[in-house]
Amino acid sequence: MKDPAAIRKTLENVSTIPTLPIVIEKITRLLQNPQTSAEDIGRAITTDQALASKVLKLVNSAFYGFPGRISTITHAVVILGFSTVKNVVLTASIFDAFSKRVSANTNFEMEKFWLHSIACGAAAQTLAKRIGHSAKEECFIAGLIHDIGKILMCNYLPAEFELVIQNRIKKDCLFYESEREMLGITHQELGGIIAERWNLPQALQSAVKNHHYLVQDKDFSTVSGIVHASDIFVRALDMGNGGDNKIPQMSEIVWNNLGFENIQMQQLLEDIESEVEKATVFMQLV
Amino acid sequence: MKRILVENITDKMVLAKEVCGTSGSVLLGKGTVLTASMGHRLKNWGVLSVHVEGEDESPQQNGITGITPEEVRTALEAKFSRVMGSEIMKKIFAAVYKFKIQHNSR
Repeated sequence: MKDPAAIRKTLENVSTIPTLPIVIEKITRLLQNPQTSAEDIGRAITTDQALASKVLKLVNSAFYGFPGRISTITHAVVILGFSTVKNVVLTASIFDAFSKRVSANTNFEMEKFWLHSIACGAAAQTLAKRIGHSAKEECFIAGLIHDIGKILMCNYLPAEFELVIQNRIKKDCLFYESEREMLGITHQELGGIIAERWNLPQALQSAVKNHHYLVQDKDFSTVSGIVHASDIFVRALDMGNGGDNKIPQMSEIVWNNLGFENIQMQQLLEDIESEVEKATVFMQLV
Repeated sequence: MKRILVENITDKMVLAKEVCGTSGSVLLGKGTVLTASMGHRLKNWGVLSVHVEGEDESPQQNGITGITPEEVRTALEAKFSRVMGSEIMKKIFAAVYKFKIQHNSR
């Protein structure tokens, strides 16, 4: 097995890991000020034209479900609200930073990986809605980025990534099981490095670091739990592929805390499927 | 017009019927000129077959035979093989199986 601390250190020292655009920080600051107007947000986003056009494409898609045409960012802010637009900008920026069509590893299909991630995000949003969790857009982003550690490994630790993949194929096991066996560290911890570096909200950091609930007595966090369950559902429904063909065990803590015994499962699966379909618009950003 | 599996899509084939997702939204319009890579993408989006312009073929030739409930069960069992000892996972398995069977027959 490789030295997990050395792997972590290597990744922490990579200077080319993408950063989020300055506009995210600017918007976060603007949103803390009660005097901020829709025009202020619009102006901040349109300083980055490429980003602004992606944001407009997304807000006009079926995913956001607004029947008319939204033609300016300011209009989007008025219609959809500050926080939705901020989340759209964050989503578009994550794609900009990471989604490359080509994988450095022939046994890892990038397009299927992104479909799995987008589907997990859409499923997380659906589940959040179902259990009445208020931050459903945050759940979408949490699902979208939960496996970001795999992309980091694929791009910046290619030799280690190849070891994990070959072992995963040989043992027909889960990706994280292979990671633990070969590297002693998983994509959760590696993804956590970038989530911290990007200074993402705590709930998102926690979902990246704990979505497999490998530590059973870990404190329950709703967003991580929602992503944990959503990952299992989209695997079962064959939506994309995050790097293996197995289903992980659902944590009992998550199952009980989210109240699955009282959720009508067929309806939930129907809703997940229809949300995932609307969310395939995000594949156009890949 | 003929129906073909998305993996059999080749460059320059023309869609004879629009491709819709399960909720009815149009993914690709009638008349779209296809490429092999679009076929690959449609597959990733969960579309199994499309209608293209040209002579009809027998089901054996176009490769569509339908998926039986047994095949759905076998594929799911392979995925769930290591977690079926858990009562929770049995419930999830049953729900997903039921969903897939109903979905297939629609």
